[in-house]
Amino acid sequence: MRKVGYAQSGRVVYHQSAESLSFFFPRVLPVDKLLNNLCTIVGSDSVIADADELLVYECDGLTQHKHRPRAVVFPQSTEETAAVVKELARARVSFAPRGAGTGLSGGALALDQGVIIELARMRRVLKVDVENRLAIVQTGLVNAQLSRAVAAHGLHYVPDPSSGASCTIGGNIAENAGGIHCLKYGTTTDHILGVRVVLSDGSVVDLGGTGAEAPGYDLLGVFVGSEGTFGIATEATVRLVPLPLAVRTLLADFADVNDASRAVSALIAAGLMPAALEMLDGATIRAVEASVFAAGLPPDAEAALLIELDGLEAGLDTEAAHAEAICRKHGARHVRHAKDEQERKQLWAARKGAFGAMGRLAPDLMLQDAVVPRSRLPEVLADIYRIGAHYQLRLANVFHAGDGNLHPLICFDLRDKDEVRRVEAASKEIVQTCVEAGGTITGEHGVGLDKKAYLPLIFSDDDLAAMLQVRAAFDPTGLCNPGKIIPTPRGCGEARIIATSQAQTPAQQTMPTANAMRPSVTIQTPAHNAFAPDAAQRQLAALVGDKNIALACDEQIESTQHALVVAPANVAEARACMCLAARDGWTVAPAGACTWLDAGNPLTRADIFITTRRMTRLIRHEPADLVATVEAGMNFAAFNETTSRAGQWLPLDPPDDGRASVGGVVATGMGGAQSFAYGQPRGFVLGLRALLADGRQIKAGGNVVKNVAGYDLCKLFNGSYGTLGLITELTFKLRPRPAHEATIIVRAPDVETLINCARQLRAGQFLPVALELLAPALATTIGAPGATDQFALLVRFAGNDASVADQAARARVLFKSARTVSLELVEPDAHLWRALAAQPLRTDWQLIWRASVRPSNLSALLVALHQAQRDHVESLSWHAGLGDGRLRVMQTIETDAPHVVATFTSLRDTAHKLGGALIVERAPDDLRRVSDAWGLSAANARLMRSLKQQLDPHELLAPGRFFASEVRG
Amino acid sequence: MSAQPLQLGSVLAHEEAKLLACVHCGLCLEACPTYVQTGDENDGPRGRIYLMRAVEEGRLGADAPTFARHINRCLGCRACESACPAGVEYGQLLEAARADLTNSRREHGAADRLLHFALRHIWPHPARLRLAFAVARTLRDTGLVRLLRATHLPHLLAPRFDLALALLDGSRAVRLTEQEREPTTQPASANITTSRALLFDGCVTEGLFARVNRATARVLALNGCATERPRGQVCCGALHAHGGDIEGARRLARQNIEAFADDNAAPIVTNAGGCGAMLAAYAHLLAADPQYAERAHSFSARVRDISQQLSVVSLRTGAPINAPVTTYDASCHLLHGQRAASEPLDMLRAIPDLEFVPLTGSDVCCGGAGVYNLIETELSMRVLDEKLKHIAETGATLVMTSNPGCHMQLSAGARLKGLRLRVCHPIELLEASYRKLAEKSSDAGQETS
Ligand SMILES: Cc1cc2nc3c(=O)[nH]c(=O)nc-3n(C[C@H](O)[C@H](O)[C@H](O)COP(=O)(O)OP(=O)(O)OC[C@H]3O[C@@H](n4cnc5c(N)ncnc54)[C@H](O)[C@@H]3O)c2cc1C
Ligand code: SF4
Ligand code: SF4
Repeated sequence: MRKVGYAQSGRVVYHQSAESLSFFFPRVLPVDKLLNNLCTIVGSDSVIADADELLVYECDGLTQHKHRPRAVVFPQSTEETAAVVKELARARVSFAPRGAGTGLSGGALALDQGVIIELARMRRVLKVDVENRLAIVQTGLVNAQLSRAVAAHGLHYVPDPSSGASCTIGGNIAENAGGIHCLKYGTTTDHILGVRVVLSDGSVVDLGGTGAEAPGYDLLGVFVGSEGTFGIATEATVRLVPLPLAVRTLLADFADVNDASRAVSALIAAGLMPAALEMLDGATIRAVEASVFAAGLPPDAEAALLIELDGLEAGLDTEAAHAEAICRKHGARHVRHAKDEQERKQLWAARKGAFGAMGRLAPDLMLQDAVVPRSRLPEVLADIYRIGAHYQLRLANVFHAGDGNLHPLICFDLRDKDEVRRVEAASKEIVQTCVEAGGTITGEHGVGLDKKAYLPLIFSDDDLAAMLQVRAAFDPTGLCNPGKIIPTPRGCGEARIIATSQAQTPAQQTMPTANAMRPSVTIQTPAHNAFAPDAAQRQLAALVGDKNIALACDEQIESTQHALVVAPANVAEARACMCLAARDGWTVAPAGACTWLDAGNPLTRADIFITTRRMTRLIRHEPADLVATVEAGMNFAAFNETTSRAGQWLPLDPPDDGRASVGGVVATGMGGAQSFAYGQPRGFVLGLRALLADGRQIKAGGNVVKNVAGYDLCKLFNGSYGTLGLITELTFKLRPRPAHEATIIVRAPDVETLINCARQLRAGQFLPVALELLAPALATTIGAPGATDQFALLVRFAGNDASVADQAARARVLFKSARTVSLELVEPDAHLWRALAAQPLRTDWQLIWRASVRPSNLSALLVALHQAQRDHVESLSWHAGLGDGRLRVMQTIETDAPHVVATFTSLRDTAHKLGGALIVERAPDDLRRVSDAWGLSAANARLMRSLKQQLDPHELLAPGRFFASEVRG
Repeated sequence: MSAQPLQLGSVLAHEEAKLLACVHCGLCLEACPTYVQTGDENDGPRGRIYLMRAVEEGRLGADAPTFARHINRCLGCRACESACPAGVEYGQLLEAARADLTNSRREHGAADRLLHFALRHIWPHPARLRLAFAVARTLRDTGLVRLLRATHLPHLLAPRFDLALALLDGSRAVRLTEQEREPTTQPASANITTSRALLFDGCVTEGLFARVNRATARVLALNGCATERPRGQVCCGALHAHGGDIEGARRLARQNIEAFADDNAAPIVTNAGGCGAMLAAYAHLLAADPQYAERAHSFSARVRDISQQLSVVSLRTGAPINAPVTTYDASCHLLHGQRAASEPLDMLRAIPDLEFVPLTGSDVCCGGAGVYNLIETELSMRVLDEKLKHIAETGATLVMTSNPGCHMQLSAGARLKGLRLRVCHPIELLEASYRKLAEKSSDAGQETS
């Protein structure tokens, strides 16, 4: 909830500093010991401690909450920030990071006399890497300055919140800020490649940043959106994207709001993917037209849609015409096409200035932020207007319609107490309405101080407890921005309480059972007990039925003997199994389709495997929302087949030979060739349900495309390989399935030629969805045409017919001039990519690993690979993603293990030196025992361990997969 | 002392509605040069408004050092006003805050006292002011200032003194073209006079930049506009208003309204952004004055910058003048106060073949801000450094700006840094181009005769 304006009655009187400051003198040096030490670190002109000067730091963009800090410190570097935090930790003083203070949830306030660490002086662009399309910046850099700094290279930073002119990248990361263009391009989390973080003890850790994939839990993903409660981001590696090649901006106006919202759903359901889709209602239109932002919107309209389509010039007019037709069909009176860049800018300025323009109408404005499934917009909007009318309030709506992200604006006067009460009641009702429609309490402004009380509307106590545990793993001291996000009776120190209590007392809880008739039992969770397979089998059979239990050896699982594989039919059964295991101290290895149980390091013990293979229901798929919810065991291919009937899909190609389950895809977090254009699985999980080690069921995320309520625990399960919980249900964001796909295959005798081809393609006006380089034999295996001894470059184009044809034709011309040997266009091409994705699951490969580096470093890695394997080239196959820097190597092992380990270790060193990572996907047991599968950095490993310790203190889940077990049964 | 009662927060209290207009969104932060330099919320528009509100609400004393420090560190450039979606009239709030500061019982520093002495006892008196400027001109034009600076003594003595001398020296005329000899032929006026205008001289402009005033008149004449310089006009009062002496400013405003009352239809043309914005603000300044409110309103409505005045006529084209690579730095008050963004550049289109490079951040203050540079020298120099860096990036050696304060600040900066950079008013360049045209046609005339 947002309130801006005049301070509430009860005027606070603060004492004034007694010192009379001479006009020309610098600030008085603080006397306090702590402050002195801080001054020593950053210099006295980088510390504010004067009570009057601290006044302006008592609130952020939301003036409703006021807490004056003890001091404000302005570090200039990561090192200074770390030193400051260390000093504060020593003095046990809490702190809150702050960027530009444009936040609208009261996040950047220091409660309880804490210190504000202000990053506004850390605004340097440290590096712009044009080839790899990224920049490294200090997080105090202002969002708009970043795009300005890289515009000369034809690039930009996509997330564009309306506050972009002043908010900082650090604040954007903390809030997972959205913007007008996140419908197509995603929110901040999809554009941050890495962050350097100062944790609350002053230690520094790099999260992500190792190329396409970082090994281990997606710590970066869960950090984004943590609202400054996990640590201070001091540097960020951000993704840059080429400026749109061509744009069409349309303004459609309607006489009825309902028509406009129905048009929104229709546009999405028709498979259009606008870069932006915004709505202004009649009240907003009239306010804007009366302000300096007037853009000629028809003042008698009751709604207007601002639609932006971008992409290649080819076919864009057809798309624009299609969008126009849909709008007209749903009652649009006029559809105006922006004729030039100036008109386009004017239209967007009108949209972005709407808030300010409304501000002129009343002394105070309350800006809500809630999200509903797109398809529910008409009814929710009607409800909102009804609520406004009921409370006799002037209310307007201007919002990210394409995302279903509503921003009701209420005009009022804070001096009118009765009106204030009505505003509060109305806004609570609005939030409730949105939640009941399946939405969430905040889509981009965050929870902070302001929405803490609303969090229980969407999360259970168990969900919140899990969030607190994750927070405790990042911040065991409880000093990092305490009192925000999670509602607790006490303002601060909550994370610390969890941190200590969890580790010591075993969880007390009620065991739910599959059969509701059976009485529930109170269980205790002891550490690993001895496992008696026969008895266990009987107990489990009572829960899931005899025929759904098997001995692990039936399933060819090597690493464990005597293990049982249990296949519950639904969540309730799965939960009962988990509870039983927790009670009896059995170790559990969660599993999907059981295609890949030997991932990572060898399990130290696995008593039962719980597989989701019988949990395959499609729970919900609403095409107009581009969202589907399924049980985790559903087959990935089947899922895509179902959704494609509505012209939608999950554009992922994980390792899959047709058996992979969606849960498995998420738990491994692996993408494939098309991740270059569409991203990894992490970007598609909107929500999930999981069973934790103690049998608690938690929910993370939600059902809507934008959601920043609480921590994004979905990210944590991404790449967790079953070590944190059993994923039982997933909600995915889908994409419109492209009308047309085609692949050009270029073959050449050397790698360099093909890498050059790819480079030229990226520099030109092309939008390939995959750029995969294949070793000769592999190319032939998957059925790529061309000479069998030549390397192959597979370039996939997808989109409307015109754009695919246009790109294919131009690519032909481009490649003809290169010294390529053959060039083929393959369409339909799905079989090629399916065959490629199936490769890692072929059982004849004994050793499979993948590396991830910056794209420009791939050739160095390939050279290193070929040198190391000079004598064994035939035993080796590989493919590499030239767009995002992936390399997967598959080989048979003929030589002795020590040689393999040595070459492999040296390659991992090379990858690390290039700033990347190398992960073993599959290896014989003897090799897995001697070399670590992950190669985690010490700091990341430490964080992962404490997360594991928080969520699975007794190491019951897949013990040993990441680390050798610390707790022994 | 001023006639205002010594009531804390009184002037701001009158502006409550304007304070309330700020919704605390922060969209103005990056527009503010002082915030960009320090990153301190207290040094940004939103923070300053917050402090004003605290004073207005009684949470902070008008005599609190923090209030004085951060209100004084404001350049008054009003860039925040252009950035603000809610239409907060920051310039007027600032003047109210400065008035409250002046009226507060706070101890004033030496520089402050000196300034207020000058504003009270020299500025309102044309004769004294003329004398003061005559002395300054003599020091400047005899080369004494330059000589003194060359000894490096002023710098050793007090860098601020050195800056003051550099500022004065910076007001000298410069050569505008790469030619050996600048054209001297005076352009003839247009054959037909189609409009008329009243010229506002401005005290500093007339005192140190009389050439700019003359050029303004000639360019107007050449484009068919007859001009007049009403007698009895005085300083616009901007220095007073910005310095917190609102009553002083009001007195001057009334005098000017009287002076320009003879011809109530003619536009009032200025060439100094600071003066123009101030004249345009008379409506607000005298809004509560029953006798003058209405007259002030129509007075303000008549005020135009020279570039705005020229934008409504079809401007004559001059002759190419072989000027060096040129750039333009907007005067803040011209841009944010009078909203003249494109007009000054349009005016330059009348000069054929001018090699013009746009300046990054030309909409950002140069740090001059009246006498700010002499009071908040350190911050002013940081802002100036940024500006000079951007100018250097353009490769231009001639920079144009439309306000005497900015003019002196830029050329002082060039002098202090030893840069090869000349500064002029755009109208000077346009006039040079017209002179060249006249010279050509008189040459041609001689040849034919
Ligand atoms: C007019 C207006 C329009 C807006 N429009 C949008 C919009 O379109 N989309 C949107 O998403 N938001 C919008 N916002 C909200 C706000 O601008 C964003 O939340 C923005 O990301 C906040 O950035 P900031 O630098 O101001 O952060 P602050 O407000 O300073 O801080 C926000 C939070 O981030 C934390 N934080 C700040 N820096 C760091 C760091 N380096 N490391 C760790 N934590 C940090 C703080 O502790 C705090 O919890 C808007 C706000 C306004 C006033
Ligand atoms: S002055 Fe304007 S832009 Fe600045 S914070 Fe206030 S409302 Fe926002
Ligand atoms: S007038 Fe200029 S210096 Fe003062 S607050 Fe506004 S932008 Fe900043």
